[in-house]
Amino acid sequence: MSAGEALPTNPTDLRLLVQALADGELDAATSLALERRMAEEPALAAEYARVVALQAAIGSLPRPQVSGEFRARIASLAGEDKAAVAPMKYRFGSYDWRALAASILVTAVVASGTTYWATRRSGQDEFVADIASSYQRSLIAASPVDVASSDSHTVKPWLDAKVGMSPPTVDLSKDGYVLLGGRVEVIGNKPMPALVYRLRKHLITVVAAPQGPGTVATPVAKDVSAGGFSIVHWTDGAFSYWAISDIARSELQDFVTRFRAAVAAG
Amino acid sequence: MLGSKSPSERFGEVVLPHLADALALARWLTGNVDDAEDVVQEACLKAFAGIETYAGGNARAWLLTIVRNVFYTWLARNRPRGLVITGDLADLDELSAAPEAGVADPDGPEAELIAKADTAALEAAISRLPPPFREVLVLRDVNGLSYREIAAMLGLPLGTVMSRLSRARGLLMSELGSER
Repeated sequence: MSAGEALPTNPTDLRLLVQALADGELDAATSLALERRMAEEPALAAEYARVVALQAAIGSLPRPQVSGEFRARIASLAGEDKAAVAPMKYRFGSYDWRALAASILVTAVVASGTTYWATRRSGQDEFVADIASSYQRSLIAASPVDVASSDSHTVKPWLDAKVGMSPPTVDLSKDGYVLLGGRVEVIGNKPMPALVYRLRKHLITVVAAPQGPGTVATPVAKDVSAGGFSIVHWTDGAFSYWAISDIARSELQDFVTRFRAAVAAG
Repeated sequence: MLGSKSPSERFGEVVLPHLADALALARWLTGNVDDAEDVVQEACLKAFAGIETYAGGNARAWLLTIVRNVFYTWLARNRPRGLVITGDLADLDELSAAPEAGVADPDGPEAELIAKADTAALEAAISRLPPPFREVLVLRDVNGLSYREIAAMLGLPLGTVMSRLSRARGLLMSELGSER
């Protein structure tokens, strides 16, 4: 195999690959091919040396210091001591522009809030319908899970790696609910982590949507239904949860109670 | 467990460790440290207000995304008529994707020359980069985010991130190389 067989011939693409090598973004096979090519082509090797030298030069630039005073100011944002935040420095342009910007902002918030309020119900109904149809698909699919494991320490990092977040994954096997694994649901164009539990021959899917500004806090589990399935919805911590199954609603309620208790005990 | 911590505890764990990174990004976006502190402070207020929506994953990228969003709000407020992005972004990417002179050019500046470039010249050259290029360069070389993280943060295809980065570096190299 000649060196660089897998490499692009286009000089621009090759240049991007040289950058990617310097950034540690290439897989081992491509890195090897590129290193061989650079050994043959001094011009390419010089380009690589330039990128590395530039990275080093940028890396050694002085970074702004986080002063103790600034850190304390930021830390106080989260504290009870709100008074420390009050003398916030404004270097933002002139007063008039601030006032104008503020009024535009208020108008926008009021307008979008009203629109949101007007459309929220249908939005949520659509969301529930999406969850129901994904659940239905999962019943038909060869496997209801993308990662099969009864070990919560396997499922959680897998979801974290796939969708960048993962809900608390609890072991409920002593209550008869076996963790089958996790999968990625795409609801309303957004990937979301989902956990799959089995009760006897039935599947229970728990979809966890991160709570956003539009989430309605639902601390008390609420019954919903769509597509003939039982759905229970609640919010806890950072997530908004939807448990869906074809088991009886009372059984699903029981599952949700145990799930939430286990998460809280976490 | 995520849910059992108070918002201020989570703020302490999620936001405070990345203050230096946030400040470094804001410094290059705004152009000076004083404005950077204002932007980071606003961003931290937003981060605290939204701490419940942080659902794990890369906390640094999460905070930097907020910093960047606050910066654009700040920019609109601060320089309402300042033209920051000139021309169409699509043109820009076409430009950066086009084959350029100097691809592995043997006449390009020596690596040693770049390595010896003085701090002020390099800082000035970075400041002169077109903002969309500078943003990608800073996220990569100052903040150390991966291509994927940058693509997700800016909502750009991976290829665009790579070509903007390459273009930014190409511009810096030729500037540093010509300053003898």
